[in-house]
This record gives sequence, structure tokens and C-alpha cells, in this order.
Amino acid sequence: MTPNTSRSFIYAEQRHDYRSLLTVVGLAILLLTSAGLSLSLGSFPTSFVDVLKALTAPQSSDIVFIVWELRLPRIVLAILVGGALAMAGAILQGIVRNPLASPDVIGITSGAALAAVLFLALFSSTIGIHWLPLFAMLGALVSALLVFALAWKSGLHPSRMVLVGIGLAAAMGAGTTLLIVISSDAAAMSAYVWLTGSLYAAQWRDVNGLLPWLVVTTPVCLAFARHADAMALGDQVAEGLGVAVMRSRVILLACAVVLAGAAVAYAGAISFVGLMAPHIAAKCVGRHMARLIPASALVGALIVLYADLLGRVAFLPKDLPAGIFVAGIGAPFFVYLLHRTRYQRA
Amino acid sequence: MIPFQTHRMTWRSSWGKTLLSVAFVVSLIGATCAAQSHRSQTPSAERVVTLYQGATDSAVALGITPIGVVDSWLEKPMYRYLRDELNDVPHVGLETQPNLEKIAWLNPDVIVATDFRHQRIQPLLTAIAPTATADNVFDFKETLTLVANATGREEVANALLRNWATRVDDFHRQIADTLGDAWPQKVAVIRFKSDHLRIYSGGFAGYILDELGFEQPDTLNTHGWGMKLSSTENIPILDADVIFVLLEPDPAILDNYQHWSSHPLWQQLEAVEHQRVFEVDPINWMMGGGILAANAMLDDLYRHYGLEGLEQRDAPASSQETQDAR
Repeated sequence: MTPNTSRSFIYAEQRHDYRSLLTVVGLAILLLTSAGLSLSLGSFPTSFVDVLKALTAPQSSDIVFIVWELRLPRIVLAILVGGALAMAGAILQGIVRNPLASPDVIGITSGAALAAVLFLALFSSTIGIHWLPLFAMLGALVSALLVFALAWKSGLHPSRMVLVGIGLAAAMGAGTTLLIVISSDAAAMSAYVWLTGSLYAAQWRDVNGLLPWLVVTTPVCLAFARHADAMALGDQVAEGLGVAVMRSRVILLACAVVLAGAAVAYAGAISFVGLMAPHIAAKCVGRHMARLIPASALVGALIVLYADLLGRVAFLPKDLPAGIFVAGIGAPFFVYLLHRTRYQRA
Repeated sequence: MIPFQTHRMTWRSSWGKTLLSVAFVVSLIGATCAAQSHRSQTPSAERVVTLYQGATDSAVALGITPIGVVDSWLEKPMYRYLRDELNDVPHVGLETQPNLEKIAWLNPDVIVATDFRHQRIQPLLTAIAPTATADNVFDFKETLTLVANATGREEVANALLRNWATRVDDFHRQIADTLGDAWPQKVAVIRFKSDHLRIYSGGFAGYILDELGFEQPDTLNTHGWGMKLSSTENIPILDADVIFVLLEPDPAILDNYQHWSSHPLWQQLEAVEHQRVFEVDPINWMMGGGILAANAMLDDLYRHYGLEGLEQRDAPASSQETQDAR
């Protein structure tokens, strides 16, 4: 490599960084606009001006309750859930080095689902529905630990982990189906809604429950993003670059488990976001983790936000679970991006 | 616009522009619509929103027209026996996920909900309006009292409940006289779905049959709400003196019913041999969940046992549901 080409390579990298940054900022602006739009739409549309008034001067507005207690917590929760699932997906895809890895595949979501359905079938009438998130989260953690334990063979190896995860997910899926079959109609109905994933009736206490997990894990993810990039080149290369592969892998995996587990605990098993958002984000900013993680989070947040908006307003007066629309929004978008990339290469 | 450009593909700036302008236009439309903001303003002393079927039935029985109701399970959007009274009443979505915002816009004085379905949204409901909550959806007496207390119609409710008690006593007396030693009867309440059948032990029908003095098949005593049966091998579980079949007018369900009832094991059931299998309306027997449905179910029982139906005492709105019962 001549000095000249290496310099232009560095320039290209810098320009790329700059553009990625702008993309992330653009996505953030889009997310904010979308949140504003979502905040103005509902059973009866309210103007954005009225909504702003309700936000800034609650005492003189007659839609305070609707904006502050019904729409806003739901929008915030949608953003957090989408962001958390997408980050978990980005990390898993990076570490496992498999583009199909996602929280749904390696058993995190199915563990949470089994625990949630178990709770709905057995305990919800006796100890109160507000324990459901805790239960679901424990389910996610136990199942992830199980996957790690079963896949452990002098270290944690990606391909082994995926296989064990898929196997365990299938087994737990069977358990979930069995529980739904033997439970009463009402419990089965709640279970189905939970399995679809819904932000219905999100409250501030849900936001307060989920937020701390994100606040704790996000900086860790970003701090270890570099290690993930190195690991993407293969364990030996990463070790050569001075990365403690096993330690970083376990830490990042733990973060992914916590993010996905916490998200599904509060919104139910919204699937597909964790798989799709990182790919869409990668098309925009490339595969470097330090850029990919924030971009994925924003894309995931956008997907869930719009899915929930559709569920809220598209079939009024019915209020439908966001999970129904996640794949509906994301899949065509995803196919479009793939198609475009192919077209450009040709 | 923001240059959404990467090494792999060009995010055309027009693209982001389109998205943003769509968002902008939609908010403009929102703003225009809000100008004619329709916050419902029907002046009424009792603005009640009922969030489960039994509460809606009870409100109508008490002579109240709710300002918001949830969709019915069958005969959507509202059971025929309630349609006349609830013609122009706005719907607030599904019983399992009522639209909270719509409820808030209706600005009710009181909301009637049930812990069974609405435990999670309780705090939000309470913030919208005082909320009366029933423990379950099948205890129609609790529901009636709840709605009556919330709207100050205790006397009407008491009259309805007295009328019910009289009818129950009359049924008791007549069926014991008619059946003699064959009373009390063991009763199986079953419902066909397209690929399985369910046998119920509790719920609305179970609660009423229990009060009327019927007994459950021995096979059901230890099975909670009931059972799902998906194999015709299990037909002997249905063994009882009488079988009530809750039948919906759905081709797939009728097919399945045909499939089960033509099975040799079905033919050996005691109720089948004695021709005591009765097809009944699931709305009266299960989904109505209120005193009107309960009376209609009792009418069915009078009819199937060939008893002299006791005329219902004059209570509001309960006179014409007898005709609508089928």
C-alpha cells in the first residue's frame, strides 16, 4: 500500500464516520418527529399545538390526561422496547457471527414467554398481574443461563450456542403451547396477547421499570463495542489484537440478555425487531459496532413506535397489539433495502 | 436535507424528505380534525361506560343506556337482544383491550369493569372516572348490584333479583315434582369449537345451574374451569343425565358437532339415549353474562323440561328479552 492510497483510505474512513454520525442524527430527528406525530394521533386527533400545550402547561389544558398518562408513557415505552431489542439483536449478531441471530432465536424470548404464560395460567388471579414483568424477566435470565451452561465447552462458542439456543427455544415453545391448551379461555387469551407483544395500557411505572436496565447496560455495550468488532474477525485475530475474547463475549452476551429480557418483560414477546433492526441499521451506517448499536437502537425504536401507532389508530375503536404490525412494517422495508443493495452492486 | 450516505448504498435525501413531509402532512390533518374536536357532550346524570358483557346487559336491565360499551363476543358488534337499547351507543373496542383514550374522551361519570379482565388497566381507569370493579364476569348478581350501586338504582336491582329468586324457587318446585327420583340431574355444559370441544364446570351457566340445584358429572369435579377435549375417545367424560350444547352458527363448528355426535361412543351416552341433549344459544348460556341473559337461560330450561314458564314480574326491559331469547 503506497502512502498515497493509505492516506485516501484514512480520509474515506473519516468521511464515512462523519456520514454515519449524520445518519444517526437524522434517525434521531426522525424518531423525535415520529414521536410528536404519534403523540398527536389517537381516538380523536389532537393538534400538535394542543399536545405541546398539554406538555408544557398542563394546568390549562383539557387533554393532559390523554397526553401525559395515555399516549406519552406508551410512546416512551415503545421507543425503549424497540431500542433495547434492536441493541440486543445487534450485539448477538455481532458476537455469534450469524446474521440470523436474534433474541427470538437463542431462547431469551421463549424463556420469557414460557415464564409469562406460566404466570398467566397459574398465578395472575392470585398474586396480581403487576408481577408479570418480573416473572418474564426471570424466565429470560434462567433460559439464557441454561443456554450458556449447556453450550459451555471450555469457553463459549458461537455456533454451539446458536444450536443449543434453537433447541431450547423449541422445547420451551412446546411448553408454552401445552400451557395455553390446558389453561382457561381467559388465561389463554391474555397469553396470546402477551405472545404477540403489546404496549397497550403502558404506564409510567412500566417505563420506570424498564429504563434502569437500559441505563445500566447501554454504556457497557458501547464500551465493549470495539471488542465485538475485533471478535467479528474471528477469535484468534481478536486475541491477537489483545481482546480477552471470552470475558468480553460473556459481558456482551449478558448485556444482550438483560436488554432483551427487560424489553419483553414489559411489552411481551415482540419478535422480529431484534433480527431486523440491526440489518436495516447496518445498511445505513455499516457494521462497526460503535455506530451500529446506536443506529440499531434508533431503527428498532422507530419500528415499534410506528407498529404501536398503527395498532392504536388504524382499527379504531379497537386497540390492537403492536406485535401484529412489527413484521408488517419491517419486512417490506427490509426486503426493499436488500433489493436496493443488490441493484446497486450490479 | 441530511445526507444519508454510506459506503454501501445511498440513502437518497429525497427519501428522508418524503418520510418527514408525510409526517408533517399527517400532523396537519390531525390539527384540522381537532378543530372540530368532538368531545361527546350528551347531557345525562348517569354517564356509564360498561367494559364487559355482563355489565352492559345489567345496565340495560336497570333501564340505563351506557354511553360506551365494548364489542360483543358473538353477533358482533352487539348481541341482538341488546341492540334495540344500544343502537347508537359508541363502542370502545374489545372487552380484553378497551380503548382507554376513547373512554377518556367519552368523559364518563362511572366505569364498570372486572378484575378478571381489567386488573392491569385499573389505575388508568380510576384516573379517568370512579370505577366499579367486579371480581369475575359470570356472577351476574354481583354485576347487577355493582351497576345499580354505581348509578343509584338499587331498588330496580332488588326487584329484578326478587323476581329471579321467585323464578328459581318455582323452577325448583316444578322440576322436583316432574322428575321425581330422577332429580337432581347431573348436567354437562359443552361447547363445540371447530377442532375440539370444551366442557365447562363453572362460569355463567355453571353458576346458574348450581343455584337451580343441578349437579356436575363426577368426571369434572377436579378440573377447575373445565376441560378441552380434542379426541372423540374422550366422549365418555361427557356422561351426564342431560347435555346442553352451546352451539354457534358457524359452519366449521357445526361440522365438528356433526362429527362428534355421529360417533358410536356419543350414541352410548345416557343423555343421548334418553334424548336429553339440547342445543342452546351460547349468548344466553355464557356470553351475555347478565340478568337478562340469565332469565333467557332459565326460559330455555323451562322449555326443555316442558315446565310451565313463570311469567316474569314487571321489571324494566326484562319483558321483551323473553321473545328475543332464541
